[in-house]
Amino acid sequence: MNEVNSARAQFYQLLSSLFAKEVDSALRDELIGKQGQSLLQHLASEPEFKTAVDTINHQLSLLSNERQLFELAADYCGLFLVDGKQGASPYCGQYLQDNKTELFGQYHQKMTEVLAQGKLQLSSKFPEPADHIAAILAYLGYLCSDASRSEQSEFIRHYLQSWLNTFADTVNKHDQGGFYGALANLTNAWLTFDLAFLDDEALIGAE
Amino acid sequence: MINRREFLKGMVATSFTVVSATSVLAPLSALASVGAKKRDDWLTTGTHFGAFKIKRKNGVIDQVKPFDLDKYPTDMINGVRGLVYNPSRVRYPMVRLDFLLNGHQSDTSTRGDFRFVRVTWDQALTLFKESLDTVQTKYGPSGLHAGQTGWRATGQLHSSTSHMQRAVGMHGNFVKKIGDYSTGAGQTILPYILGSTEVYAQGTSWPLILEHANTIVLWANDPYKNLQVGWNAETHESYEYLAQLKQKVKQGNIRVISIDPVASKTQDYLGCEKIYINPQTDVALMLAIAHELYTNNLHDKDFINGYSLGFEKFVPYLTGESDGIVKSAQWAEQITAVPADVIKVLAKTMAGGRTQMLMGWCIQRQQHGEQPYWMAAVLATMIGQIGLPGGGISYGHHYSSIGVASSGAAAPGGFPRNLDEGQKPIFDNNDFKGASSTIPVARWIDAILEPGKVIDANGTKVTYPDLKMFVFSGNNPWNHHQDRNRMKAAFRKLECVVTIDINWTATCRFSDIVLPACTTLERNDIDIYGSYANRGLLAMQKIVEPLFESLSDYEIFSRFAGILGKEKQYTRNMTETDWLKKLYNDCKSANEGKFPMPDFETFWRDGYVHFGEGKPWTRHADFRADPEINPLGTPSGMIEIFSRKIDRYQYDDCKGHPTWMEKSERSHGGPGSDKHPIWMQSCHPDKRLHSQMCESQEYRDTYTVNGREPVYLNPNDAKLRGIKSGDIVRVFNQRGQLLAGAVLSDNYPKGVIRIHEGAWYGPVGKDGSKAGGAEIGALCSFGDPNTLTQDLGSSKLAQACSAYTCLVDYEKYRGDVPQVSSFSGPIEVSL
Repeated sequence: MNEVNSARAQFYQLLSSLFAKEVDSALRDELIGKQGQSLLQHLASEPEFKTAVDTINHQLSLLSNERQLFELAADYCGLFLVDGKQGASPYCGQYLQDNKTELFGQYHQKMTEVLAQGKLQLSSKFPEPADHIAAILAYLGYLCSDASRSEQSEFIRHYLQSWLNTFADTVNKHDQGGFYGALANLTNAWLTFDLAFLDDEALIGAE
Repeated sequence: MINRREFLKGMVATSFTVVSATSVLAPLSALASVGAKKRDDWLTTGTHFGAFKIKRKNGVIDQVKPFDLDKYPTDMINGVRGLVYNPSRVRYPMVRLDFLLNGHQSDTSTRGDFRFVRVTWDQALTLFKESLDTVQTKYGPSGLHAGQTGWRATGQLHSSTSHMQRAVGMHGNFVKKIGDYSTGAGQTILPYILGSTEVYAQGTSWPLILEHANTIVLWANDPYKNLQVGWNAETHESYEYLAQLKQKVKQGNIRVISIDPVASKTQDYLGCEKIYINPQTDVALMLAIAHELYTNNLHDKDFINGYSLGFEKFVPYLTGESDGIVKSAQWAEQITAVPADVIKVLAKTMAGGRTQMLMGWCIQRQQHGEQPYWMAAVLATMIGQIGLPGGGISYGHHYSSIGVASSGAAAPGGFPRNLDEGQKPIFDNNDFKGASSTIPVARWIDAILEPGKVIDANGTKVTYPDLKMFVFSGNNPWNHHQDRNRMKAAFRKLECVVTIDINWTATCRFSDIVLPACTTLERNDIDIYGSYANRGLLAMQKIVEPLFESLSDYEIFSRFAGILGKEKQYTRNMTETDWLKKLYNDCKSANEGKFPMPDFETFWRDGYVHFGEGKPWTRHADFRADPEINPLGTPSGMIEIFSRKIDRYQYDDCKGHPTWMEKSERSHGGPGSDKHPIWMQSCHPDKRLHSQMCESQEYRDTYTVNGREPVYLNPNDAKLRGIKSGDIVRVFNQRGQLLAGAVLSDNYPKGVIRIHEGAWYGPVGKDGSKAGGAEIGALCSFGDPNTLTQDLGSSKLAQACSAYTCLVDYEKYRGDVPQVSSFSGPIEVSL
C-alpha cells in the first residue's frame, strides 16, 4: 500500500513541478529518459490518459533545442504568469471565491492554513499565492502518505475538482503549443481516476 | 473496468521520481508559525488616492480605513486592496521572446503580441545594461530617451523617475524632455504673461475667496472631481472649502458660474449656474467679454496702466481695427453658441464685483491651448483685481489642495535624480550629433518618425534626435500620449524598449524588457500629506512584502548599479532605512525652531508628525502692492497683454497677443464636423488617477458598462443611432476605433461625448485575439480614447499635448464582441 501511495505522491509532485515553472532542459531530459518514458508509456496504456500523454510526449520530442524550450516557456508565461483573459489563471481562488478578482484572497488564506496545519509553507523560491495549482498538487502529494482516504478525497473535491474542468477548458482554449492543454487534461483525468481509486479503497474497507 | 490498484502498482514499477525539480513546499519555519499574528495592528501609509490606516490578517491586507486627518476620503479607498492584489501585476522580470532571441534585430512589428518569457533579475538587468551598451556605442546619447515622466507613486525615497535616471545616468547620457502632458501649453505660455508657470503654484487661500469674492468663475474646471487625487499623500483638504462654498451658493452669498460644454460633477455638487459653450471656442467668448468691458468702459484703466504692458497693441484686434473682425458678443455668439445678451451680462457681472477666475487644465490641452490661458489672464487684468483676495485668476485650485494655505514647513527632499558631484557616467559622451538633447515632452513620437527634422519650440529650434531606445519608469505613455496607431508605427523603429512598472500596462505590452516594481504599500517611505498645504509628514509604512518577485525602485536600481560596478556610488553605501532617516533628519533640521519634529523612531512609531495650518494668503498680492519691488518674472516685470518676445518669434499659430484661431478639427460647425460631427472630451477620470487604479477590477466594476469604459452620450444623438444605455458602441474616426459602453445622460449636450482618459488600451485583432492587437488599426476592446486623438503640437510655442482637438463619430456595434484584452479578469466557472 505504501508503494502505491508513494507512486501517487510522486506523480502529484511531477504534476506540481510542471505547473510550478517552465520546463527546463533537466526536467525535459528526465521525462524523455528511460524512467520518464516508462512512466509516460504506462500512463498512455490507460485510455483515459492516452490522448493527453501522447500529446505531451510528442511535444517533449520537439524540445530538441534551446529555441524550442524558449517557445514552450513563452507558452507557459502567457498562460500562467501574466494575465487571465488570454491565459488561464492557475489560482483556484479566481474560480471559486466570491471576489474572483483579487489574488491572495480567501483561498490563499485557506490553503495557507491548511499547509500550516500540515507543518508546511510555500518555499521562498516560490513567491506565489498558496492557492496556486502547483502548491495544491504538491500538498496533495504529502497527503497521499499522511492522510486518510476520506481526507484525501475531500481535499481533492474541495481544492481541485471544483475548478479543474474550467481550468482545463481555458488552458486548451488559449494554449498555442498544445503541451499545457494536454497537461491540464491529464491532470483533470488523473484527479478523476484518483478520486475513483480512493472511493474504491473506501468501499473495500481499506484504510 | 480498470483495476485502479493494479494500474498504480504498474506505476510503482516504473520507479519514476522527479529529481531535477524541487518542491514548491517547505517545512513551516518557526517564525512563520508564530509570527503571523504579531503585527496585525493598524499601519499608516499614503497614496495619490488618500492617506490610509491599513490592517493585515495573516500577512495579507485585510482592512483599509482613512487616515484620521483625512476628513473627506473618497470612494477610491475601495480600490486600495486592488492596487496590490490585482491580477495584472507584473510578477517577474520578463523579456519579449523575439527580443531575447534576436536582440536589436528582433521583429519589432510583433511588439504588442504579448509573447514574453520569464528571466531572472540578473538576466533582465544584464540584458538592459547590454542594450544600453549597444545604443551608446552605436548611436551615442541621442539614441536613448530616458526622460519621460508621469504620476508614478507617492514617496520621496522610492521616486521611480529619480532612481531610473540616476542609475541610467551612471551608464551614459540620454535625451530628456521639457514640459508635461498635464499643463504643457499652460506652463509654457504663462511665464511670458504672468511670470511663472502658475499651474503648479500655491493660489489664493479658500477662506479669502469665500470671504471676499462675489462671483467665482469656474472655467472648464471640475474641482470636485479632480481633487480626489493628489500629488502627495492626499488628505483632501480642499473639500472642506467646497462644502462651505456649497452653503454660500445655497444662501445666495456667492455666485458660482461654471462655463463648460458638459454638466460637470462640480456643477451638480454646488448647484451653481452654468453656461454652455461650444467645445474649443472659449477664446472667442473671452474676447467678447473683453470687448464688452472695453466698449462699456468697465475695464480698470489704472490697473492696466500700472501693472501691464501692451494693452494698446491688443485693442485694435479687439475692436476689429486690425483684422476687420469686431470681437463683439454677436460675433462670439456665432462661434460659441453663447447668446450675445448672456455674454454682455456675464461681462458686467465679472466687472461689477469681486471676481475670482478659476481655470481648469483641460482647456489648454487642445490645439492653440496657449490662447485660452493667455486671454483669461488678459480678462483678469482688465477686471483689475489680480492680487486682491477673492479676485484675479488661478490656474490650479482643482489640483492637490492648492488654495489650502501652506503650513510653511520644509518638506523632505528626495533620493537624488542626478549623479553625485565628481561622478561621471561610463559612457561619458555628450555628443548628441547635432540633435537636441531635450525635446518637448509630447513630440517624442514625431522624433522617432522624423529624426533630424527641425521644429520651432518656445523661441528655439529643436532638432529631433534619432531615437533607438526608450526607458520608461513609473509612467505609461501608452496611456497619456495620443493616436495609438501612429505610436505603433513609430515603435516599429525602436530597437529596444525597457519599462519598469507595477502592472501590465499597455506600455509594458509594447516593451522588450519589463521589470516588476512593487506598489507603495510594499515598501517603506516618507512623504508629506495635504500636498500643497503641506499639513504634515507621513510615515509610509510597508504593509506587506513585495509580491512575487517585484522589488522597490531602490532595490531594482541598486542591483542595476551593481551590474555597472557602481552600487556603492549609487546608494552612497546606505541602506533603505539609512536613506529614510537621512531624509527625515534633513527635514527635521530644516524645520528646527519653527516646526518641532520628534526623533525618527518616534515619528515612525506614531505614523506622522503634524505641521498644522498655514496662514491665508493672496496670490500676486505683493506684486500688486509694489510692482517695482516685486516684479513678475516676465521680461518687463509686468503682466504682458502683448508679448514682444513671442511676437518676435513670428509664429503663425501663437502671435504677439491672444488670438482666436480656428482649429484643425472642431465640432458644432467647425472644420471636419461634416465628416465626424462629434467632439470627444477625454478629460481626467472620475474613478482613477489617469490610468492608475484601472487595474483594480473590483473598483472598475463600479463604473464599467458591459465590462468596458463608459462613453457618455447625449440621449438625442444616441437615439438617432439606435443606441440605449448599456449598449456596446464603436467610436471611430480616420485615426482609429474603439469599443465602449454607452451611458446616456442629459449632462452631455448634442455633439459631445465623453470618454475618460486612463482607460487601459486593449487592442485586439480582427479575430478578437490579443496577439492581433499589434496590427495598425486594431480595435481597442476596452475604450482608450487616445486611440482616436490627434498627435499634434498645440503650437510652435509649447508643442504640447492637443488631445482635446478631436472629432469622432459613433455607432451601435454589431460585430462579434471581443473580450476585453486590457487586463486580467475573473474566470466564469462553467457549471
